[in-house]
Amino acid sequence: MKNYDERIARLRARKLEQTQEKIEVEGTLDEDDYGRIVPPKGLWHIHPNNPDGSFYGYDAWAENFCSLMNIHPVYIDPDDAFAGRWMYFMSKMRPNKWNPDYPYDHLKANINKYDIICGIGDDAHFAPDYEMGLRLGWGGLISRIQHWKKINNTPEQQHFYNLHIQAIQAIQGWISRHVEEARNRAKICDDLDIRTRLTELADVNERIINNPPETLREACQWIIWYHLASRTYNRDGAGGQIDSLLRPFYEKDKAAGIIDDETTIYYLACFLINDPVYWQLGGPDKFGNDQTSQISFLILEAADRINTSLNITVRVHEGLDPKLLHKSVEYLVKNKNGWPRFSGDKALVEGFMRNGFSAELARQRIAVGCNWMSLPGLEYTMNDLVKVNMARVFEVAYYETIATGNPSTKRLWEHFARHLKIAVHTAAEGIRHHLKYQKYNEPELLLNLLSHGPFEKGTDVSSGGAEYYNLAIDGAGLAIAADSFSALEQRIEHEKRLTWEQITEALQNDFTGTEGEKIRQLLRNSERYGSENSIGEQWALRIRDEFVTLVRQESEPKLDRCFIPGFFSWANTIGFGRSVGATPDGRHAGTPISHGANPSPGFVTDGASLSLATAIARIQPGYGNTAPMQWELDPTFAQEENVALIESIIKTHFEMGGTLINVNIMDKQKVLEAHKDPSKYPDLVVRVTGFTAYFAMLSPEFRQLVVDRILEN
Amino acid sequence: MKGTITAIQRMSIHDGPGIRSTLFLKGCNLHCAWCHNPETWSSSPQIQYISSKCICCGSCIAVCREQALSFGHKVVIDRERCTYCGKCIDACTTNAMMWIGREIDSKEAIDKLLLDRCFYKNSGGGITLSGGEPLLQAEFSREVLLGCMNEGIHTAIETNLTTPWNIIQSLLPLVCLWMCDLKIANSEKHRYWTGIGNKRIIENLKRLATEGSNIIVRTPIIPGVNDTEKDVDALCKIIAELEGNVAYELLGFHALGFEKFENLGMINPMKGKTSLNPEILSHLKQIPNRFGIKQKL
Repeated sequence: MKNYDERIARLRARKLEQTQEKIEVEGTLDEDDYGRIVPPKGLWHIHPNNPDGSFYGYDAWAENFCSLMNIHPVYIDPDDAFAGRWMYFMSKMRPNKWNPDYPYDHLKANINKYDIICGIGDDAHFAPDYEMGLRLGWGGLISRIQHWKKINNTPEQQHFYNLHIQAIQAIQGWISRHVEEARNRAKICDDLDIRTRLTELADVNERIINNPPETLREACQWIIWYHLASRTYNRDGAGGQIDSLLRPFYEKDKAAGIIDDETTIYYLACFLINDPVYWQLGGPDKFGNDQTSQISFLILEAADRINTSLNITVRVHEGLDPKLLHKSVEYLVKNKNGWPRFSGDKALVEGFMRNGFSAELARQRIAVGCNWMSLPGLEYTMNDLVKVNMARVFEVAYYETIATGNPSTKRLWEHFARHLKIAVHTAAEGIRHHLKYQKYNEPELLLNLLSHGPFEKGTDVSSGGAEYYNLAIDGAGLAIAADSFSALEQRIEHEKRLTWEQITEALQNDFTGTEGEKIRQLLRNSERYGSENSIGEQWALRIRDEFVTLVRQESEPKLDRCFIPGFFSWANTIGFGRSVGATPDGRHAGTPISHGANPSPGFVTDGASLSLATAIARIQPGYGNTAPMQWELDPTFAQEENVALIESIIKTHFEMGGTLINVNIMDKQKVLEAHKDPSKYPDLVVRVTGFTAYFAMLSPEFRQLVVDRILEN
Repeated sequence: MKGTITAIQRMSIHDGPGIRSTLFLKGCNLHCAWCHNPETWSSSPQIQYISSKCICCGSCIAVCREQALSFGHKVVIDRERCTYCGKCIDACTTNAMMWIGREIDSKEAIDKLLLDRCFYKNSGGGITLSGGEPLLQAEFSREVLLGCMNEGIHTAIETNLTTPWNIIQSLLPLVCLWMCDLKIANSEKHRYWTGIGNKRIIENLKRLATEGSNIIVRTPIIPGVNDTEKDVDALCKIIAELEGNVAYELLGFHALGFEKFENLGMINPMKGKTSLNPEILSHLKQIPNRFGIKQKL
């Protein structure tokens, strides 16, 4: 009996219950949904190996991971085609994330001064090669490790290989317990239909404990086990080119008559609800041929059926099947749940090639994370982990300019550029420190398994094991800095309506009083970044050029380290804003900074979508990392009859140089009501930044940010 | 050549096909009671005051030499006393006080309209001249249309067709799409509600159609004015006789934009009127079908 729609409906309802339970037990979380569920109380605790209560290094990570796998609860739902859910944020359960034996005190003064998120000790954020996993299976991966173990035979390397084998065996044990549980439940189940489903589930899982998957269902289940384990290990959520990964299995099963499209959609819906992993659809293969196939459409259809928090990206390129883009925009408009997103192949490929890479390689660098691209299995990136708060850099420069006397925007720029250089260098030094010691802190035991290099070289991916080191440094608060420069130039130097003294006093008093508010309004209504050919845009481009140059200068060709600039703030807009006082763009002290490369809300009075698309296409840093366009799309425009127009804006943004579009379509009234009482809308999903989240799960402060964004737009 | 405009609206999606930028020209010879662009009636610049933006700082009152401004609920403008010197606008920091209407050179207008040409190309869009009545500034309109057409941009014009035929005729090669209002079939009734009879409008419409122009005739359906089957029937009889490529659209009256009357110190002839019931509109939209009139080009 198929009754797939009923099963999907029950899975969806269960997902909402699980989300609600997470909120009740663990509180709110300003992050991705991750698909994680609440673990049983007191079942597992970390095993510290350091007096600070945390655990560090190969042995401790392997021991903690294996001990957790050994007792990790089994999760079987007869409505679900697949077994398994993850429960433990292992990396977040540590009281400290960096091994105190490798201090970076020499960097801390500047990290604090410029409010840098330095990334030291942060994990994952690069992509595994799922294709290798599907080809080899767990048994094949062990054989691969054993092969290299024979070649690289220092004691340290032998230990390195042994720990990875232990990790795989722990995962296999976890899968085996699911097989056993499914069989046990089947034995005592009176319902023939459910008994059959449980038996099938056991069979599927039993076959892939050691062997590579052969069917579509086995392939999906294999991927699920890998990402559940990797999520448990260190929250890794990188995906891959999911349509191409699954296509051979789908086509083979279809030809053999094992599955029909309805069954395929059901499998894919179960696959997608398991975890909002970042999957890419469409886009070119390494030779430039479009990868869209029938299963690309079925994945979209499955996403539509399950319609939960999803992170699917459609890669838009010249050869993309127009039907795929059309279908994806139809679903975006129909569901208004922030999926899919869209990435722009042209600028991504051309940009990445500027680093000296081939077009073939550049095309393989796909959308698999929040704001980021990665070469599956080939590179270590620290994507989305290192951020420079440029609003804070501006503030430091501003007060230094005032203190040194005779202020002007020319002098302010000199101070800003100098401080930005120190900030970027500090961030780069942090990355270097991380690369030197991360293996002693948190080796990538799980991502090593699906990387090309760590086993061949016998060392961790963070420590020379990867093929490429393309290291990301993102700038945040671009619009705050650009608009501040613009307001000062316009109101003081061009119009002479305000003086430096007046503005400084107003900033120090956070624009209090009528006079303060008058000054604030005048500053706020200056020419802003986002408006074409404005003073604000000129400053934004100047800041972009400086930031790009500074980040690029940190590259070390002799060490094969390439530093790549981007603009992104993730969910740090609130945190970054807290550390910055009032700014000359009219922003109040402590309020959130601007979002990624986006202009500040209210930057133009009409045509905001086109201005936004134009401004962000122009501001791209240009080396293959993104400056996403966070698009708050008016729900009155986001209607079925306007699908073609929305498509045209997406295509035009990418033609002009855009790299990634994250779209939100939110009904103002609904969001306001949900803000008052989140429990009324448990299924309301918003695309916060690169990730989607249940609105109800966000903290009140973050919900306010989402509400403000809508109101101001 | 300079023209007077109120705004260039980017991402217009109701002023012709695709994504468009619409240039609103200031000045209109019809004063339709239901107009939602009253700022385009006068051809002279006007002062707009948006109270919701005002922080009551008093800067505008302080600089007004005519004592035309005073504090009331927020700021009150005595427009009889106002000499339109613009000092209050210069003093305002919040843009609560603003000029509506400015002169612009045709070249500058063209440059601004071309900003979004990539979006036009991918969406099948272009630019639209609207108003007000753009043909009251025929020479300026001609330069803008020519400049855009030379760049390969699709051009449209929204006109009430009240100008002499020779003006319309001279623009024929420059306009890809004519969007023409025909509001009421009966000429006297038309005069009552808009200030002018419709004889020349209908004549021009016929000639325009005979010339083979692409035309969308549009009628805003206003409750109590032209919202009966009889009204639409009469309009359809006129349109059904037009030759050439003609479509007919019925648009529902909405009360959006009514706050503009207050912001500009103008009297709203339809104050309190609510938007048209969508069911009435969809019922009336069936009528053109009976006459074999297409609703899309």
